[in-house]
Amino acid sequence: MTTTERAARQHQERARSGWRVVLRKETADLWLSAKGLSVLLAFSIALSVLAYLASGDAAINLLDARESVGVVVKTAIGLGTLTAVVVSADAISGERERGTLEALLVTPVARRDIVTGKLLAASTMWLAALVVALPFVVVMADGPRVGLDAVLVLVISGGLVAAALTALGLAISSFVMSNRASLAASISILLMLAAPSQLPAITKSATLGPVLIKANPVSAGLTLADNVLVKQQEWTEQWIYLLSPILATIALTAAAILLARRLQLGDAR
Amino acid sequence: MTDEPTPALALECVDLHVRYGTFMAVDGVSLVARPGEILGLLGPNGAGKTSVVRAITTIVPVTSGTILVNGHDLTDPVAIRTSIGVLPESNGYPGIQTAKAHLTFYAELFGLDPREARRQAEHRLRQLGLDDKSQPIGTFSRGMRQRLGLARALINRPAVLLLDEPTLGLDPAGREDLLRQLASSAVEEGTCVILCSHQLDEVERVCDRVAVMDHGRIVADGTVDHVVAGSGVTQRARIRVALGDVLAADEVLRALPAVSAVEYDNARPGDIDVELAPVDGARSQLLKVLLDARIEPRAFDFQRAALSDAFLALTSRGRETE
Repeated sequence: MTTTERAARQHQERARSGWRVVLRKETADLWLSAKGLSVLLAFSIALSVLAYLASGDAAINLLDARESVGVVVKTAIGLGTLTAVVVSADAISGERERGTLEALLVTPVARRDIVTGKLLAASTMWLAALVVALPFVVVMADGPRVGLDAVLVLVISGGLVAAALTALGLAISSFVMSNRASLAASISILLMLAAPSQLPAITKSATLGPVLIKANPVSAGLTLADNVLVKQQEWTEQWIYLLSPILATIALTAAAILLARRLQLGDAR
Repeated sequence: MTDEPTPALALECVDLHVRYGTFMAVDGVSLVARPGEILGLLGPNGAGKTSVVRAITTIVPVTSGTILVNGHDLTDPVAIRTSIGVLPESNGYPGIQTAKAHLTFYAELFGLDPREARRQAEHRLRQLGLDDKSQPIGTFSRGMRQRLGLARALINRPAVLLLDEPTLGLDPAGREDLLRQLASSAVEEGTCVILCSHQLDEVERVCDRVAVMDHGRIVADGTVDHVVAGSGVTQRARIRVALGDVLAADEVLRALPAVSAVEYDNARPGDIDVELAPVDGARSQLLKVLLDARIEPRAFDFQRAALSDAFLALTSRGRETE
């Protein structure tokens, strides 16, 4: 191999690790523009209002301390996941609609690297939501044991649910041609997955209810939060509720990256 | 990057087919282009130009056929994309980014380290007259955006530059500016430029060769003169001679093989309208036969067949034979 061929190969090798470049640019775009900060501000306001209602005013507080923390943790997981989904569902379809996707696809960076960079950048939205939510749960927790449980639930269960749904949003964004359709589909799926944990009748159903709750990564994550924080059950009894969030995270992340190969511009016949 | 030894052909497409479902968008296109050459890729809307460009850029799958870009074939799409620069027709920009940040990002995607990427971005911005780096792209005029698009397409010093309607929506000054940049890039950097455009006057002016597409096929390929000649469109001349020379002029003009018709304008005695086949040197042939016959033209207006006439003839012929 000649020196010039080696230099060209080195350029190609560097281009192959382009996910880092995409991640850096997407993260900067998210946090230096109004988008990320405004979504985070809305999340903070929602969580503040809820925390105030749950614990701030003795006259309107109908929940005990554990229930209050449980409500705030579950809301933080749900809304935090929603913020990450809003970003990931726009990641590819938004580029497509703004006419910037083609210029990105004609660079030497592989499509899976583009998707990986965007996925990681969208995940920073959840990390920011987590940073905002942690002080709330720590302050509201009644004692260090509850505080530790709340932080662990938020980090582990919330992290897995958010990762799975962020990957789902990105996968949808890759093949849905309209940005509005991508956002609508991703948010609808999140709401549908979250709904069972809010319907007590399902959990009381003899056999099918609990299975459905455990199989659904969002309801499993939220149920785990409820069991640990409100019902004070041991972590060792809750591992089953982490199975579907773990599997969903792995499967949906793999799907998002594999679907990247079929990523289309959208205006070809 | 194009540090490799330059191949004789910058671009070679052989029997290229691109199918979308049941629709054959590109139907057996073969093209070659050399380093430093500007090739105009013409055709009506839906002719398949954009599909050819997207096949070359590896972003739409090729149904059959081969593509070689700077010596790299489709088995190495990363090498192809490293060798090309593209200004797509549907060209959007992130409004909040500055031009420098935008170009630096693309330079890094092409494998440049951050410092070299910033240097290259500044060089291209200076080259294209976009020195004010602090302005967000959202405040740019259409012309500035197109120049930024060209700067982005040139950021990796491509061997092949593919431009889809680069002057669309630009004012005349902006068009001139962009075309001047293109020509200088081809000459100074040896870049092969593939220019898709409906602006036939500018294609005629800057392109070394043109390829005309219709219904997914190449219907003409060569220099502008060659394509015009092959299209069969006629050229026209109006000659004014003294009234006493009209008959003699008629005789010598009709004797010319290139002349297909000679007509008179009754309102203007002495004026002769001549229709000629699009052969090279037709103008001088006309003058020569008149002067040889001692007929001195009092006025001579020659209208060479334009590329636009050839384009209409070639593409309408394509529709008729469908």
